[in-house]
Amino acid sequence: MKILHQIKYKPAKVVGGYTDRILRVNLGKQEITVQELPPDFKNKYVGGRGYALKLIWDGTTRETRYDSPDNILVMASGPLGNEPAFPGTGKFIVGTISPLTDTFIDSNIGGHFGPLLKRAGFDALAVSGISNGDVVILIDGDAQTISIAAAPAHDREIDDGALSFGEKLMKDVNGGEYSDSLAAVTAGKGACNARFGIVNSLFFDVRRRRIRSKQAGRGGTGTVMRYKGLRGIVVRSSLSKVNGNNAIDKEGVRQAGSRLKAVVSKCDPQQLHLATWGTTGLSEYMDKFHIFPINNYQYGQSPESSKLFAQVFLDKYFSKKIPDGCYYGCNLACAKGSENVELTRGPKAGKVVNIDGPEYETVGAVSCMGVFDPHFVMEYNWYCDEYGIDTISTGVTISFFMECFQRGFLTADDVGYELTFGNIDTADRLLHEIASGQGFGKIVGQGVARGKKWVSAKYASRNGTSQDTVMAELNKFGMEVKGLEFSMYITKESLAQQGGYGFALKGPQHDEAWLIFIDQVHKELPTLEHKANALKWFPLIRTWFNATGLCKLPWIDVRNPEAANTTEPSKNLPTLAYYVAYLNATTGSNKTLQDVLDDSERLYILQKLINLRHGKGTRANDQIPQRAIGPAFFNEYEARAEYYDEWLQQQLGDNKVPASPEQRHKLLMEKRIEAYQYLCDIVYEKKGFTSEGIPKRETVEKFGLMDEQARQLFNQLGI
Amino acid sequence: MVVSIKFLGMQRVVTNTDSIDMPITEKTRVNDALQYVRQQYPALPLEEGMVLVAVNLEVASLDRILRDKDTLSFLPLISGG
Repeated sequence: MKILHQIKYKPAKVVGGYTDRILRVNLGKQEITVQELPPDFKNKYVGGRGYALKLIWDGTTRETRYDSPDNILVMASGPLGNEPAFPGTGKFIVGTISPLTDTFIDSNIGGHFGPLLKRAGFDALAVSGISNGDVVILIDGDAQTISIAAAPAHDREIDDGALSFGEKLMKDVNGGEYSDSLAAVTAGKGACNARFGIVNSLFFDVRRRRIRSKQAGRGGTGTVMRYKGLRGIVVRSSLSKVNGNNAIDKEGVRQAGSRLKAVVSKCDPQQLHLATWGTTGLSEYMDKFHIFPINNYQYGQSPESSKLFAQVFLDKYFSKKIPDGCYYGCNLACAKGSENVELTRGPKAGKVVNIDGPEYETVGAVSCMGVFDPHFVMEYNWYCDEYGIDTISTGVTISFFMECFQRGFLTADDVGYELTFGNIDTADRLLHEIASGQGFGKIVGQGVARGKKWVSAKYASRNGTSQDTVMAELNKFGMEVKGLEFSMYITKESLAQQGGYGFALKGPQHDEAWLIFIDQVHKELPTLEHKANALKWFPLIRTWFNATGLCKLPWIDVRNPEAANTTEPSKNLPTLAYYVAYLNATTGSNKTLQDVLDDSERLYILQKLINLRHGKGTRANDQIPQRAIGPAFFNEYEARAEYYDEWLQQQLGDNKVPASPEQRHKLLMEKRIEAYQYLCDIVYEKKGFTSEGIPKRETVEKFGLMDEQARQLFNQLGI
Repeated sequence: MVVSIKFLGMQRVVTNTDSIDMPITEKTRVNDALQYVRQQYPALPLEEGMVLVAVNLEVASLDRILRDKDTLSFLPLISGG
């Protein structure tokens, strides 16, 4: 490999979860800098998402777009990542300005990269600039070197694939052998052609004796990586994983970890069975409660859904009796994988591959296209990973165009072929066209928000109607907010989840607030007040997980039986107490849960400021498609008429519901849109925002965020 | 009178069936159905605090009186990834 620039460095020791150093790489100037962080940086910005937010707030401007040289791609774990004694500590964040939303996006990702980056001496990596040619970055804590190297060229099969290229790279930099002392992140060829490119995180699984992968799927982080000319990053450290954070109170860490592991061991086999099924177990429950996003979220349930239930994947594909954790010490071990699956479609038909997944979201994305073939799910999973594109945005965008075809906004002439729900051949063809930037895939690769504009222009010019009129129709079923495609849950029957998606700062991704079951099924949020409180509390605690390098699942998807004795069981507070204990033992702090929430709120407000700076931070940007609020079209209403009529009757009290179904549908939508607006009012008040969804000055000042840039922003906004 | 008890997910694997019917009287409560299932399938994990009972797609309290043709299922506490 041709080294273009290299520096020597001495890796900083991890103390109390931090190295207090950031590695900065400018690919345009080929500069590598090790930045020491001031002592109060970690106190204020915690780590992970917090570090990404602060670096992007300071280092970019309102003009910065995903392809600007000053855009920064940040990868950061957090103080609690990198500890096998505690479950779920392999997470790290990839944060940047998104090609889909034009504002801050971050996506969390598992694997070994975050922990190894920290052991190699860095709390975060920040990549700026755009390289003239394709490069890789090599961070070698053992050799104490950091290098920018020309990306190695192999054959096209390897070079085009994010997984194939990463596997080869990991072998090549380690003398032809795989090792769990190194890990890599890569972006694939699909990321060059679509706005929803992903970052793959590759690590060597010593039990399976193969490279496995996890993905930072949302928002186009891989597209940014490829635009910078960055094909991959390899990090190496042979330092011991045990007590990797050099915790201040090692016994405290051990105790907190063993308590959480005991709850996971006892409860997961009686609850969601994540260790057996991964997240595919969710499909059946989503289908049962009309939440499965079939045909672009039109219908929540199908007689065919059982073809995609967890047992199908377990019986046919998942490797059994091999623990599946994406990082050492996690006994939830939900990262399922399959070996020796033969591809039957696409350019690699006949090839036998190893597949990591599918997650529920990938299964949902395939159902979104109206497809119920488990083998197609596996192939779709692998191709998306290999191309380096997001399974969620790919599926939702294809589904949007399928519905445009269904409703007559597109014709076969526009697409080049019939684009119908449930047609595997069509879905498969479009997947490859997106990745290669060919044919209609070139349009679809732009995502739903830009797709709406393209369709409205096309349809309006063909039919002599106004583009605005067409757009109003497309806005009903184009499943995006702020430019990001929805993740895979139908929210029509959960007002709290409508807010969970609408208020989510990055766009409708559930990692900020997943309240749908708590609200719709468990009925734990019966009033607007309960929903609004949850819409403040959950995003804060979830932000903390993304700032600390932790996976949320051992907390949120394994309910501690002791939670039943608390006033708000859905918060799972007995388990959260283990997390706070783990934090204090690691860093030597003496924080309470409220302190943790306050720390998170600072980050939340900072993210809101970035959104405001980029024109995505007001009430108008929190509005969601009609389909997310209720049955946008009559066919959806008819499919659940009994439920909707009952809901409408409750709203009307003693007044009679209209006689005709069409009138009931119209009134129902009016009432539901009204309810969402009312929710906005209450939630903004709880969050310390104006009725326009903008943080009040005192809210920003309270968290010490009113710097010169924020002051100027507020002056421009007239606040 | 009869209610249907549906088995979901891993419950279906343990019980080897999609559903069973249970005869009820006018005084049969959700808790009675829970006990009935525990007796029929001792291997099925239905510990308190681990699952919720849903009647006709709504979470129900253990003392709720069952009605003819109600459908029961046992749900894990799903709170979202």
